[in-house]
Amino acid sequence: MECVVQGIIETKHVEALEILLQGLCGVHRDSLRIHELCLKSVPNLGLVSSEVRLLCDLEQPEPTWTVRHIGGAMRGAGAEQISVLVRTMAESKVSKNALRLFYALGYKLDHELLRVGFAFHFNRGAPITVTVSSVNKMLKLHATDEAVPVTPGIQLVEVTAPASSENYTEVAAAMTSFCEYLAPLLHLSKPGVSTGVVPTAAAAAASLMSDGGGTTL
Amino acid sequence: MPIKWILHWQPNAGTTVNTQILSEVSQCAESINGVKEGRWKTILSFYRAMVREQGSANEFPRDFVGISLAEQPSKYFLVIRGQRVVVEAESNIQMIMEKLQSYKTRFVLTFEGNQYQLGDFQLRVGKVVPTHSESLRGIVMEMEYQPISSCEKSHQIMGEFFDLWQEALSKRSLQGHFVHLEPNFTEYGLPDQYTLQHTAVQYASITAQMISTAQTVQPNRN
Repeated sequence: MECVVQGIIETKHVEALEILLQGLCGVHRDSLRIHELCLKSVPNLGLVSSEVRLLCDLEQPEPTWTVRHIGGAMRGAGAEQISVLVRTMAESKVSKNALRLFYALGYKLDHELLRVGFAFHFNRGAPITVTVSSVNKMLKLHATDEAVPVTPGIQLVEVTAPASSENYTEVAAAMTSFCEYLAPLLHLSKPGVSTGVVPTAAAAAASLMSDGGGTTL
Repeated sequence: MPIKWILHWQPNAGTTVNTQILSEVSQCAESINGVKEGRWKTILSFYRAMVREQGSANEFPRDFVGISLAEQPSKYFLVIRGQRVVVEAESNIQMIMEKLQSYKTRFVLTFEGNQYQLGDFQLRVGKVVPTHSESLRGIVMEMEYQPISSCEKSHQIMGEFFDLWQEALSKRSLQGHFVHLEPNFTEYGLPDQYTLQHTAVQYASITAQMISTAQTVQPNRN
């Protein structure tokens, strides 16, 4: 299970966001270069269709693979009152033959993306990860060296934290509290709820860039 | 990781495996000064595709298995023998497979028994039973040589030990013998250095051989 919020930011403000995050998190950023392959079951497989994602971390000296399954989001009155999305999520590290395995099992490539950017992993009431990345599509199959941005000039910001059925309200509260610090630069909301860019972003970014983040926003 | 051969018991034509044979094999390990060290257990699950159109399950692999090995319970191995694919994952891959609901486990075999140390060799003798059943379906042996990790370099010494073992066992006049049929690890993309993935492939392979033997003895079963 995990808690998730997302937002977008103009690429020209990413450097300022990084300065802000560096100050808030107190840790170094990790570079990110993830090839994400989204697989879907063929029509006859399974009583319902299923999706699974394979993530290849290209930032490592030797690429490493993860299988991720994202399940349904929590619904109901309780879910609506929480400002983050709570959904089931399971992932497992796998060896490099995973794509061949899923193809053999009856899964087909639905689409693939290359996410390039950085991430901060830290603890602030909960283990939180902030990922800032450009989402790129490949013009040829698996050609990660020839990827182009899906939305030029715009990057995706994701804030996630692992949760369980026992603690998701606390995790959601920790995330919401943290996200307030980012408000001058971007709005974060549940995936699927678009809020666009923030009008104060330019001024906030200028302030951060002028004194390296010493100014309190 | 030390090299390991996994053997399975091939009953003589017209005979089947039984607990007396298992007992004799264990006694043989002790008679050649094998020191009993403890128990071991490996679990193999057969996955079956869930399909919407009845009768179309043949479109999907019928030899897809998942294996939990005694050495590393935090890992899980997925093998499709016909496609020569082996994947090593964390044990929660089982939960992901359950959530996908595209494949379900239809039958689970447990391999378990005693472990013996014999100098630089470690032997494991085990029964093969369906989980939650005592119906003996087979007998397996693991033969591990701890000083060497290379499949190629270990071949001679493993062969010599295997011959010694067969000779010791032959004195008990049992109705069958152990068989070692090594899969072509290269076809699975595996290196010469032995790994848990090699073990998983061997288990998938001997299980297929045991099923084939059982079907030869009782072709109308199923």
